[in-house]
Amino acid sequence: MDIQSCVTIINEWDIVAARQLGRNVAKELGFGTVDQARITTAISELARNIYLYAGKGQICIDKLYDGGKAGLRINAVDSGPGIREIRQVMEDGFSTSGGLGAGLPGVKRLMDEFDIESSPGQGTQIRASKWLR
Amino acid sequence: MNQTISNYIQSHKQQIQDEWINRTKEEADERVVRLVSDRVFVSTSKEFIDLLISNFKGTNEEYTNRLTDFAEKVVRLGWPLTFVTKGLHTFNLIVFEGMQEEGIVTKENQMDIVYEFDRWATPMNNEIVSVYSSTWERTVSLQKIALQELSAPLIPVFEGITVMPLVGTIDTERAKQIMENLLKGAVKHRSEVVLIDITGVPVVDTMVAHHIIQAADAVRLIGAKCMLVGIRPEIAQTIVNLGIDLNQFTTKNNLKKGIEAALELTNKKIVSTGGAK
Amino acid sequence: MRIPILKLNDCLLVSIQWELDDQTALQFQEDLLHKIHETSANGVVIDLTSIDFIDSFIAKVLGDVINMSKLMGAIVVITGIQPAVAITLIELGIGLDDVLTALDLEKGLEKLQQELGE
Repeated sequence: MDIQSCVTIINEWDIVAARQLGRNVAKELGFGTVDQARITTAISELARNIYLYAGKGQICIDKLYDGGKAGLRINAVDSGPGIREIRQVMEDGFSTSGGLGAGLPGVKRLMDEFDIESSPGQGTQIRASKWLR
Repeated sequence: MNQTISNYIQSHKQQIQDEWINRTKEEADERVVRLVSDRVFVSTSKEFIDLLISNFKGTNEEYTNRLTDFAEKVVRLGWPLTFVTKGLHTFNLIVFEGMQEEGIVTKENQMDIVYEFDRWATPMNNEIVSVYSSTWERTVSLQKIALQELSAPLIPVFEGITVMPLVGTIDTERAKQIMENLLKGAVKHRSEVVLIDITGVPVVDTMVAHHIIQAADAVRLIGAKCMLVGIRPEIAQTIVNLGIDLNQFTTKNNLKKGIEAALELTNKKIVSTGGAK
Repeated sequence: MRIPILKLNDCLLVSIQWELDDQTALQFQEDLLHKIHETSANGVVIDLTSIDFIDSFIAKVLGDVINMSKLMGAIVVITGIQPAVAITLIELGIGLDDVLTALDLEKGLEKLQQELGE
């Protein structure tokens, strides 16, 4: 069973909206403060990627229920330029924006599951989930 | 329950029981046979068969009500699940074959009886499996809680100095828990120095070292200093052999030296009061 | 909304009280540098007790402002980083390696005095 809510990312303020949505859902599901911070940070990173590289996209937050477990999934979708070298962007320290390069590998470390699909010219979809312990 | 089957079982109770014990013993896992003495085996087997047979009496409704009861009793016997389900199967087989021999099962009513057996055995099987698994789940979650409880206490020893003794194997989940406790505790106790004592950690591999380094880094961010103490020779060896760089933080070979260093860092000193002797 | 920067002797005190969005963070960077220039402060304490999350962008802005302040001759101490924030930063791979930290404002000021005294 999935229950979804979404934020469209067009400008910088939407990044704030997306992470607030994520934090609320995380709180509601009963995540602790540390996991809340992990989830909020991951959303912020993904939303900023959309804003910086794709210009426009969407962040959706799903509540997950699998057997006895509850969890939260971040779904980041854009139809931007896509990522040519996925393996390269998943390496620590790689950055095209002159940021800290924490980006995607950092998000992967913050969450329990991480999955990326991208094709040049078509856009990118990233799914990252965290389970309640 | 079908009257014919029920009657057959009632009148052949002893025979079925003997046959069941024989067959089960032949098929049983060596593990079980070794585990239980002959006498215990026979008496518990009797118990099991009694339970099964008692389950045959009464109406369908009563049967459903009694199922959970029955399953719980079986689980309490403490036998392996495969043994129990196999035992159930064997029981059905014996009864069916016996009824065939006596001509109660004929070509005409064969399918009906098979269905009847199925209607009886399937819910019982399901119930037993579900009771078993919920018992296991309960055990696992209790153990998980127990493990968390002994996970990582943070002990303030002096003003500004706290110690976290780590005991046992550290996996990723525990490492995260430890890091959380460490940081929250350090903030709560306003610790300037946090000592992590790994005397009780049997193995320090790259993963464990990585987690310890992360924890130490995080401790630095909140504004305290982290010290690693209790490094045994074999752990020093593995750390160096694995090429793990622990140069960024202070390490000491035991807690005593660690606390001395921590006192020095916080401008404290233990002095002897020079008693009367 | 701008983040207030207070002056205390030769130090500047900043307490960030609400979630930073990108604009506020960049504005803060600018304001702090101007204030250092204006007051020729020697030290800055930035207290993050109320901040419950920092992403790589804000971390970069913070890191930058620390380095910029250093260039202008002011030492920065960051105080009150929450456990959850510390953990996420480390997991993100942001070590803030050369940054001075302290548990709270009080200890932060102490640390600043130490650093300036030496």
